[in-house]
Amino acid sequence: MTDHPAAPAAGKAPAGGPAEGALLSVRGVDVGYRTGRRTRVTAVRDVSFDLYPGQSMALVGESGCGKTTLGLGLLRLLPRTGVVSSGEILFRRKDGRLVDVRTLAREDLRRFRWNEAAMVFQGAMNAFNPVLRIEDHFLDTFRAHEGGRRRPRKEILEQSADLLTTVRLDPARVLGSFPHELSGGMRQRALIALALALKPQLLILDEPTTALDILTQRSIVERLAELRDELRFAMVFITHDLGLAAELADRVGTMYAGRMIETGTTRDIFYRARHPYTSALINSVPPVAGDLTVPQSLPGGPPSLTALPPGCSFAPRCAHAVDACSHTRPTLDVLRTRTEGLSHAAACLRTHELLEGATRD
Amino acid sequence: MATEIAASPPPGAGDATSARTDAPAPPLRRIWNHYAVVKVRKALVVVFVVANVTFFLGRAMPGDPIDVMAGRLTQNGMTMEEARAVAMNSLAYDVDAPLHQQWWDFLVGLVTFDMGNTINRPGVSVMDAIGAYLPWTLFSIGVGTVIAVALGLALGMVMAYRRNQFLDHVLSVAASVLGAVPNYLIAMVLVVGGGMYLGWFNPIELRGTVSPGVQAGFNLEFIGDAFFHASLPILTYVLAIIGTWMLVMKASTTEVLSEDYVTVARARGLRDRRIAVAYVGRNAVLPLVAQIAISFGTLVGGAIFVEQVLVYKGVGGLLLDAVNYRDYPLLQGLLIIITSCVVAANLVADMLYSRLDPRIRD
Ligand SMILES: Nc1ncnc2c1ncn2[C@@H]1O[C@H](COP(=O)(O)OP(=O)(O)O)[C@@H](O)[C@H]1O
Ligand SMILES: [Mg+2]
Repeated sequence: MTDHPAAPAAGKAPAGGPAEGALLSVRGVDVGYRTGRRTRVTAVRDVSFDLYPGQSMALVGESGCGKTTLGLGLLRLLPRTGVVSSGEILFRRKDGRLVDVRTLAREDLRRFRWNEAAMVFQGAMNAFNPVLRIEDHFLDTFRAHEGGRRRPRKEILEQSADLLTTVRLDPARVLGSFPHELSGGMRQRALIALALALKPQLLILDEPTTALDILTQRSIVERLAELRDELRFAMVFITHDLGLAAELADRVGTMYAGRMIETGTTRDIFYRARHPYTSALINSVPPVAGDLTVPQSLPGGPPSLTALPPGCSFAPRCAHAVDACSHTRPTLDVLRTRTEGLSHAAACLRTHELLEGATRD
Repeated sequence: MATEIAASPPPGAGDATSARTDAPAPPLRRIWNHYAVVKVRKALVVVFVVANVTFFLGRAMPGDPIDVMAGRLTQNGMTMEEARAVAMNSLAYDVDAPLHQQWWDFLVGLVTFDMGNTINRPGVSVMDAIGAYLPWTLFSIGVGTVIAVALGLALGMVMAYRRNQFLDHVLSVAASVLGAVPNYLIAMVLVVGGGMYLGWFNPIELRGTVSPGVQAGFNLEFIGDAFFHASLPILTYVLAIIGTWMLVMKASTTEVLSEDYVTVARARGLRDRRIAVAYVGRNAVLPLVAQIAISFGTLVGGAIFVEQVLVYKGVGGLLLDAVNYRDYPLLQGLLIIITSCVVAANLVADMLYSRLDPRIRD
């Protein structure tokens, strides 16, 4: 496995714990799903990265690469069959204490969620309980996290109204509505307002606009960017739309077959991509709706998780693959060192050879 | 904005106008089409159709019903003349009148709760006979349904939360077995096993609906005694349907547990209990509400046998009597009233559903 010395930004973690000043330090995380009585697949493998306060990181990759699994794993929200099977998820809480999300006790985990890190789900048309009004969702959320004192209902509703206003919704109309009375775009805005309710330090957004029409999509993304400037929360933005990634993210991580195969600043990834897979993603035309399935310039699909090639997972589809690629697994090597997790790193045996070819585009 | 304000009527111009700007239908039409009213209308149609079927079925039966009823009476030593007179008097309409006249009289009798007299119980009207027995059946079935549904929902939810664990496996097997046993067999097993073999109770004492000497009334003694005598029927009904409720609730809960809003609720850090009740439980119960009425209807059918086995003086025995003695007026009354009860149960379930699911309300 990867036991080379890696920069703090990427690669397998040195045993030394979190990076200085990082909000979130993910260290060698594996996430697996049980698929049968004795069978399981590893959907996320050996992922490490550091996210600093206020940063926005986009996770890109074809569908099935493990982006959602990683996002859910970070908050321990996986379905019953899923489990974070190794690694550390270190989080610097608001009170300054460092916790490993993986080992949080039940009640601590409950209080951690939404208060420290909130998540807006993939195509979350269904994120609201159909039998409760929007205001009940706000009440439930605030009440679950209040200390000993029970806040008056009126006070909570006023705060909820302010939150809805920040995402450009009319509180008078939305608060008393049931979810089915709102359009998809309104529901998604309401969910974002709800996600910001407890002023989390981290917001994970999993394809937050996928099911929406293009205009709604645009206005939600613009509002998100403004809110991030105002409220300074860190963001993990999972998307198939590289355009959105370029707009909202400071940095990008490309995932393939459960591994992080390239990370870097948004400029690095869009102008100097060093992994052939990232290049292929960027050169492809993203579809208008739905997950990015097959990039145009890239035939085939990701390998089955149960039958990964021994070497580089991408080798079978890679135009630049050589013999070595099919039996040597490349490590995520730092190409250009920067602070605050912004180093450019790629996991490709031929990174240096292909350098000229990649930059010419 | 400005145009909207200008367009709206001045304050005091009548709330009715402004309240209806988005619903232009006139008020009567709106009430007529209201969810609850539509359901009541449909229920009334069902009862009406059933009543008519019993009326015309009575006419369509081979032979003159009067002769058949009278024939049965003569076996008790009545002359044919007397028997025919008794039989004719028992009907709420005149058999010699033209059919449409009979039909009209029958309908008028229906809405005025006059369904004629029983043939076999001289001087007792059909309504009185039913009134004396039906409440006991409704009481035992109603209590049994409520207990079975409440317990079944709770256990089904536990099974879904613990699915594929030991407790789930045990409860699943138990539920499937209970669901497969006919209810009168359950009653027999209770009497023979619990009463005679194990000696937990004396099945003879439990017979009937009230102990001799206990006066009906709203007091603890009477209510306690009623529950005492109804305990075996209630237990039978609970065991008869609880298995089904456990299994459907488990399936429904399992489905709801995979809904996005449950994951989001967990992400929001809500307490487990709040999620289980307001997010999982409430949504899992919704599709099952209609089945409460179905359970109730099934039990009404099963009560005829269960009440025989347990010697409980409910409507089941009355129905068997009516069939045995060709007591057409009583039979007809029973069919109409029992159907109405099941239809009413459906109506209650529908109303409950519309209260629980905001997507139904208009
Ligand atoms: N509940 C599950 N059980 C088993 N395998 C799963 C489950 N959820 C996802 N997977 C598998 O994990 C891999 C990653 O899925 P996912 O995280 O949804 O990818 P992405 O979000 O990048 O599209 C896929 O191969 C998928 O088949
Ligand atoms: Mg996904």
